[in-house]
Amino acid sequence: MATVEIKKLRKSFGDVETLHGISFTIPEGAFVALVGPSGCGKSTILRLIAGLEEITSGKIYIGDDLINDVEPKNRNIAMVFQNYALYPHLTVAQNMGFSLKLLKKSKAEIERAVKHTAEILGVDKLLHRLPKQLSGGQRQRVAMGRAIVRQPKVFLFDEPLSNLDAKLRVQMRAELKALHRRLATTTVYVTHDQIEAMTMADIVVVMRDGNLEQVGRPLDLYDTPVNQFVAGFIGSPAMSFLPATTMAGSSEMVLSDGQTLSKPTYAALDGRYTIGLRPEHIRLSGDGASFKVTIEASEQTGSETLLLAGLADHKVTILLRERFDTPIGGVHAFVIDPAAIQLFDTKTGVRIET
Amino acid sequence: MSANARVRRSNFLLDVTLFVICILLLTPLILLIANGFKTPQEMLVWPPTLFPKDPTLQNFHKVFTETPLLRWMFNSLTFAILSTIAIVATSALAGYIVGKFPFRTVNVIFILFLATAIIPFEVYMIPLYFQVKALGLLNSVGGLLIGYLVMSFGIFLIRQNVIASIPDELLEAARIDGAGELWIFWYVVLPLLRGPLAALAVLAFFQAWTTFAWPIIVMTRKTSFTIEVGLANFQSAYTIDLSLLSAASAAVMVPSVLAFVLLRRNFVEGIAASGMKE
Repeated sequence: MATVEIKKLRKSFGDVETLHGISFTIPEGAFVALVGPSGCGKSTILRLIAGLEEITSGKIYIGDDLINDVEPKNRNIAMVFQNYALYPHLTVAQNMGFSLKLLKKSKAEIERAVKHTAEILGVDKLLHRLPKQLSGGQRQRVAMGRAIVRQPKVFLFDEPLSNLDAKLRVQMRAELKALHRRLATTTVYVTHDQIEAMTMADIVVVMRDGNLEQVGRPLDLYDTPVNQFVAGFIGSPAMSFLPATTMAGSSEMVLSDGQTLSKPTYAALDGRYTIGLRPEHIRLSGDGASFKVTIEASEQTGSETLLLAGLADHKVTILLRERFDTPIGGVHAFVIDPAAIQLFDTKTGVRIET
Repeated sequence: MSANARVRRSNFLLDVTLFVICILLLTPLILLIANGFKTPQEMLVWPPTLFPKDPTLQNFHKVFTETPLLRWMFNSLTFAILSTIAIVATSALAGYIVGKFPFRTVNVIFILFLATAIIPFEVYMIPLYFQVKALGLLNSVGGLLIGYLVMSFGIFLIRQNVIASIPDELLEAARIDGAGELWIFWYVVLPLLRGPLAALAVLAFFQAWTTFAWPIIVMTRKTSFTIEVGLANFQSAYTIDLSLLSAASAAVMVPSVLAFVLLRRNFVEGIAASGMKE
């Protein structure tokens, strides 16, 4: 176990800089998810920590050691790849014992460690099989076993669940989390799926275009995103955005079709803003202002109803925790609690505390 | 005619066609073997007999006692095996490097490898001969091998296989697991290239076994001939006695056919991989 500290990390491929000076610290034993759209540089950070790419500038520490110029094999890390990267010609047991063999451990010791790990992961019946004889989920477990068996200081996961089907992914998510609780090894987990990040991580790092957008606990990101990008990226279904204007001294925020929202703190604002609405904050009844909404599409899942609707010439998503049957194209009144609304500066995207 | 009957009819036509082609291909071979067992008188009979009326082993006896045929076969075998080992080794190493380490210099070297493939051997045969002569390697396996240590097509074949079947992550996983580069090559890359390397080995072996122009200019002593050179030499010395040549050729075919039967699958893979038959 160790902390991982990243200081002003930059990486260029040729003339193109893909990481623009990233800094953050991963506490000992934490599960950190790096999340962001494709090409945001999250995998690059992971590969730099692993030593698979050369650092252009900046520093990476694992524990107290500066590892910039340390060979991957001497960093005491383990990595799980998206395509599992199991050695196709070796059995499950040989795959898992590969790193221990390289550490020149005795045969008995390797066997014991592999068996123990295989039992934790429930693959102890598969030890003599080849990777091609395993299902996707089993391969995933073996790949994790290969990482766990050597008891590294840091685990690196590069989108490990994205090749699994939806149901198995949910199951593996829980298993991975349980495994982390048991081993308490510092973990860096790269994913483009914000649900994985939200459900598994202690700390989520949101990235965009090689920059750090926000670092925080999952629910803090959800409740108080620093900007419109984070607000839109975290949460599923995603937050809806509407343009609105207000004048100095007026506590009313006016939408493009003239409907208004009011909150005393709006009086301090003046100009154009972007309103952010979480799907669950638009409700059928309760406290707040009433709005006319046109229903454009409806998806019933049994326990919930997801509506795609038009509000003030923009699309909004509404998530109801109940069944709601309404004709498509119909206009319906919904309630929005001003306390739950997020407000963003339209120009900079920065969230405004109200 | 029903569809079923049509399929049956076309299958039958296909069988007949293949059978006829098969006969056409096999007849000269059978005739060659048969000739080895014929007396000189029967050799000249027209039309030629497919099966000798009065089979004799005399031709074979004469060939093995009067010419160093076994020696030639041994020379060819030594040359072919050493050439195969060298080509497999150089192709595996170079193919892996050009496939997985795409630095600019490596790419330039790869293009140079490919460029050698478009220069016909005949162009540099003579200069190479003088070099081998200067090195004092005439009439030795060493001299014979000089042109047959590297095969540009082999490097290309292995490179394509490396790119197609060995993902980068596998090498990266091994690096993180603590493996050095040579270790990775030996324990991860080579086992995964077993199929293409076996196919390449078959190609390389037969290339060396059947080569003619280079051995005939570097091997001038009768005892150091390869089998191809020996057979050619035979022909000019014994033009009248066709039965002796037939017997020698038939004897020489034995190891080739044996090797083909044993390595049939690799052979087919090799031809499929190269997309050509020489």
